[in-house]
Amino acid sequence: MHNFLKLLLTPEFFFSILRISAPIIFATLAAVVVEKAGFANIGLEGLMMFSALSGSLASYYSHSWFWGLLAALATGIIMSLVMGFFAFQLKTDIILVGIAINMMGSGGTLFLCKVITNLTEGKAMASTTGLITRSLCIPDIKIPILNSIPFLGSVLSGHNLLTYLAFILVALTSLILYKTPLGLNIRSVGENADAASSVGVSVLRVKYIAMAFSGLMSGFGGAFMSMAYAQGWSQDMVSGRGFIALAAQAMGGGECLGGMLSAIMFGFAQALGIKFSAIGMDSNLASPIPYAVTIIGLVVFALIRISRAKKRRSAALVKEEGRLLGQGQA
Amino acid sequence: MTCQTEKSPADETFVVQMKGITKIYPNGVAANLEVDFNLRRGEIHALMGENGAGKSTLMKILFGMEQPTGGEIIFNGEKLEITSPTVAINHGIGMVHQHFMLVPSLSVAENIVLGMVPRKSGMFIDRAKAIEITREYAERFNLRVEPESRVMDIPVGMKQKVEILKALVRGAKILIMDEPTAVLTSQETADLFVELRHLKEQGYTIVFISHKLNEIMEITDRLTITRNGRSMGVYNTRDVTKEDISRLMVGRDVVLTVQKEKAVPGNVVLRVRDLKYMNDWGRKMLDGISFDVRRGEILGIAGVEGNGQKELVDMLFNFNVPNTGSVTVNGAGILGMPQQKIRELGVSLVPEDRMLFGIAASASIEENVISDRIGAKRLNNGPLFNMKAIREESDRLIREYAVLCKSRRQHVGMLSGGNIQKVVVAREFSNDPVLILADQPTRGIDVGATEFIHRKLIELSRSGVAVLLVSADLNEVMELSDSLIVMYNGQIAAYFDDTADLTDEIMGSYMLGLKHQTEKEVRRACHE
Amino acid sequence: MNRKRKLLFTIVRSLVAILIALLVATVLIFISTPGATFRIRIDATFEALREMLAGPVFRFSKKNGMVFEGKRLADIFAAMIPTIFTGLSVCVMFSANQFNLGAEGGIMLGAFVSAMAAIYLPLLAGLHAVVAVLLGGVATALVMLLPALLKAKLDVSEMVCSLMLNYIIMYIIKFLMNFYLADKSRGTIQSFPFRESSAIAPIVNNPVFSGAKLTWGFIIALVAVLVCGLFMYRSRWGYTIRMIGINKDFAKYSGMKVGMIIVLAQLIGGFLAGTGGGIEMLGRYNAFAWNALPGYGWAGITIAILAGNNPYMVPLAAFFMAYLSKGCDLMATYAKVPSQLISIIQVVIFLLFSAEQFLSAYRQKLVVETAQEELALAQAQKEGV
Repeated sequence: MHNFLKLLLTPEFFFSILRISAPIIFATLAAVVVEKAGFANIGLEGLMMFSALSGSLASYYSHSWFWGLLAALATGIIMSLVMGFFAFQLKTDIILVGIAINMMGSGGTLFLCKVITNLTEGKAMASTTGLITRSLCIPDIKIPILNSIPFLGSVLSGHNLLTYLAFILVALTSLILYKTPLGLNIRSVGENADAASSVGVSVLRVKYIAMAFSGLMSGFGGAFMSMAYAQGWSQDMVSGRGFIALAAQAMGGGECLGGMLSAIMFGFAQALGIKFSAIGMDSNLASPIPYAVTIIGLVVFALIRISRAKKRRSAALVKEEGRLLGQGQA
Repeated sequence: MTCQTEKSPADETFVVQMKGITKIYPNGVAANLEVDFNLRRGEIHALMGENGAGKSTLMKILFGMEQPTGGEIIFNGEKLEITSPTVAINHGIGMVHQHFMLVPSLSVAENIVLGMVPRKSGMFIDRAKAIEITREYAERFNLRVEPESRVMDIPVGMKQKVEILKALVRGAKILIMDEPTAVLTSQETADLFVELRHLKEQGYTIVFISHKLNEIMEITDRLTITRNGRSMGVYNTRDVTKEDISRLMVGRDVVLTVQKEKAVPGNVVLRVRDLKYMNDWGRKMLDGISFDVRRGEILGIAGVEGNGQKELVDMLFNFNVPNTGSVTVNGAGILGMPQQKIRELGVSLVPEDRMLFGIAASASIEENVISDRIGAKRLNNGPLFNMKAIREESDRLIREYAVLCKSRRQHVGMLSGGNIQKVVVAREFSNDPVLILADQPTRGIDVGATEFIHRKLIELSRSGVAVLLVSADLNEVMELSDSLIVMYNGQIAAYFDDTADLTDEIMGSYMLGLKHQTEKEVRRACHE
Repeated sequence: MNRKRKLLFTIVRSLVAILIALLVATVLIFISTPGATFRIRIDATFEALREMLAGPVFRFSKKNGMVFEGKRLADIFAAMIPTIFTGLSVCVMFSANQFNLGAEGGIMLGAFVSAMAAIYLPLLAGLHAVVAVLLGGVATALVMLLPALLKAKLDVSEMVCSLMLNYIIMYIIKFLMNFYLADKSRGTIQSFPFRESSAIAPIVNNPVFSGAKLTWGFIIALVAVLVCGLFMYRSRWGYTIRMIGINKDFAKYSGMKVGMIIVLAQLIGGFLAGTGGGIEMLGRYNAFAWNALPGYGWAGITIAILAGNNPYMVPLAAFFMAYLSKGCDLMATYAKVPSQLISIIQVVIFLLFSAEQFLSAYRQKLVVETAQEELALAQAQKEGV
């Protein structure tokens, strides 16, 4: 036990928590924003898979991770807008649209991968791991001064560009939601669409923007998976991170910061799992830990929510009684 | 009392003239028929009428939310087509809705500037500016609000001020206020009146929709009364008495007479004692309600809507629980009891909102008429339904209740309003009830279906069922009821053990709170 | 709309959706077929399409032309067994508006539990398979209690919870296989062989369908369809499930036990998925060797959507999907188009089927026609009176 703790309290362990959390944070931000706009996008998983594929392929063809990243983002945005078209215009249940994108995310990506590699490489490949070299991945960044601080330096420095971006985007998204007119519109549409449209805010437009934002975040998440977390795309590589993000959004109380903390918690659970398997535990027993933590987290969150609601109600009653008492005396 | 005839349509003092407005909804309901409505600059003008008299529709037309079927609107002397609320807002017409159009988690200032947000450095919300705007308007109009508080945390009275400010900030010169005092406490109402007078002094025009006589007498300059979609005239408030208004507002154009034998009431079935309930905003909705309903009688509950009737019915079917009080059906307490158990005691409910509670729209008629009796032995063969019995039962009900449809397999949602209600009634009346709660049983349905439902209610009551009829329709409640309660402000304002000698005038005076029976008289509603 | 028009609309709408999907497929095939000239690629595309659309039941050869192929048809029937069960499972859960996506993990769990019972329980032939399959179903139903109860009691999203459960189930089964249950004498990770007493007997073995194998599992699946249909349309519980799905407030007001039925729907869904897994496992394999989620759960969702949550339509939808899937496999073999094309076709059809507004203008036209006829009829009646 003591030895295990020692193994945990290493900079590498904390470093890995941040690294593992990054894609979940991206997806959580996506979930947070659409939820603020009043709906749920459960297709994040599928969006991330498509972005991961297109990112890795584009970076290979353009010989530049930058274009790969852009392709991943564009893929996420375009597909999310198509989802929006089905949900908002054709009135498909948005949950079913999400399910559809997820279904396609598994087999459809493999199809595209095979077809495209067959056309360009002359043979159908089931993954792009053979195409992506280290230089086609999104680079890691060493932060000069931070780097030289013992322990902290090795935890915080040397992360992938996107890892830093994930944390920056938490702040940015929060800024957008709470400090800009767009954020104000998103929140008002989500809470009371009638109120928003009664003062001339276009509800449909705001919903599309929120949807596109979730696509953009999924794009980052997907690019991270295939161009930073792993070298190249392989089938089902997102493995539930899009779903975990939905839970992180709920547990974080629907806010960016809370969502980020929940995402880090899952990152921790997964990092722990990896450590467990490093000391000999079967990886199949370690791998489900983040999923189990998600369920437990949801239950805890639900219990907290219920007790809070109870408290609020009784507080309101006390306040009301106090008011009546005051009136009675007056 | 003299009814004004306004001769010169070009009179400059009129900011708005609505001429001969007719509105017929696609389902055939005529909400307004040739209604004239004029507003003078700088007046407070009451628009009065019972529920369904057409006042809300008229104002929705003025605010561009509905388009009239006929008639025209003259705005500042020129004809104006108000095709949307945006057009209305651009012409300085603002509306304060009864259900506030506010976003709870946003601050007061953010709600006020929503859709026209001031920016700083091109991107960000200029919060200081928003607060400044709010402060400026709040001060100018003496509407005290807390610009930085979140709307969910402020009291109802302040929410209303926020709504008024929203309209003013957008340049409204005419304010339509839809029952503004319905949600306010008396202190908040007093504050509101001070603010409205202040606005009036500054040249603003206010339309004040209400049916509270005291308030009307206190605050308004003129009043227009509507009844059954028609205008009953325009009056100077100081020229009329409350009794005049009551007579004009409450009354029946056509008195329907319903043939029924005299009731022979039996034992008490429903016993309600001392129900009290305060809603989430701290308003007393039920304030000590006690009454009994006996076998073989129809007890009517009349009253202008919003005086506690809805809350009362909710308590009787466990959609809500009161703060104190007791309700028994044949001696068994039913407060907080699951609906299934309440139904097992023989209680039926014709719900007010038939689309929400009464039916499953995309299920068949057959499936809708059996929803309360699926466990019954006669309809089951072991684990499976006895389809033949169900078919026979639904065919019988469709026939008995004259539901106009192609077959029992037709979706209920495809039927007309009257036929949907017949489906609900067929179910609720046919499972051997001992007590029927009929909440607005004929609202918005055609004459034929209405008559049919009335006949059935009488038939059932004469066969020994206890009936509680809650209705805002004066004709219905006066003609059907054997005895009658008038609710006002969460209390029983009057109890009549015989409805034969009741007149519209008497009803009006109790419904509008001009009169209130003594406690002893009201206590007669309990048969102990 | 009257029933005839409604049927017409449903058929037209389904055909148009399928046609659009095929159009998308054709474009994708064209893009993915190799070939130097346009002409060659067009020919290759048509060949691929022919394999996909007719291949599942016909074999093509230069010599004999098109020949009916019984084995392939039997293969399609066999492939329908697990997806009929997951389709039914999703039908029941979605009917109650419970978006529980646990059929995927459920079918794997059922298969696993049944497999273990087939290996370690010594029972008589005939009885053995029944007990093993039932155990699989019951185990899965019990696991589904988790999302169901959490939804009913705490309002925790059954969807997220069931998705997480899918992963947990998969990893735990893999863990158990790796450490305790694998037959170490084999090169791959697989269990010890099933006892022979546990096998589900074939109904067709050879003669008619050269080399075809179809077990009684297929018949059981069809029986399950009937039972499910009876349950949903002829029993008070199924009725309650459907009413809750249509209007929960109405169900509550009518005196139905909403919370209990929400749990029941997911229990049944779990049982069906688990049973399907058991039948598939014992009918097709001799040892448990699944090392990933099989994908039948997702197929079940598509099937339920195509079937409009109507159990009686599930076999048809399952046949359609199995046919397409077989077609895509054949196309991959003979025309070098990746078989995963199926997942794109599937999604296009899925989306068009579930889009409320898809062809809404056409529906509106039919509604108006019906209304006009009704008005005319009413008028005629009035005049008659």
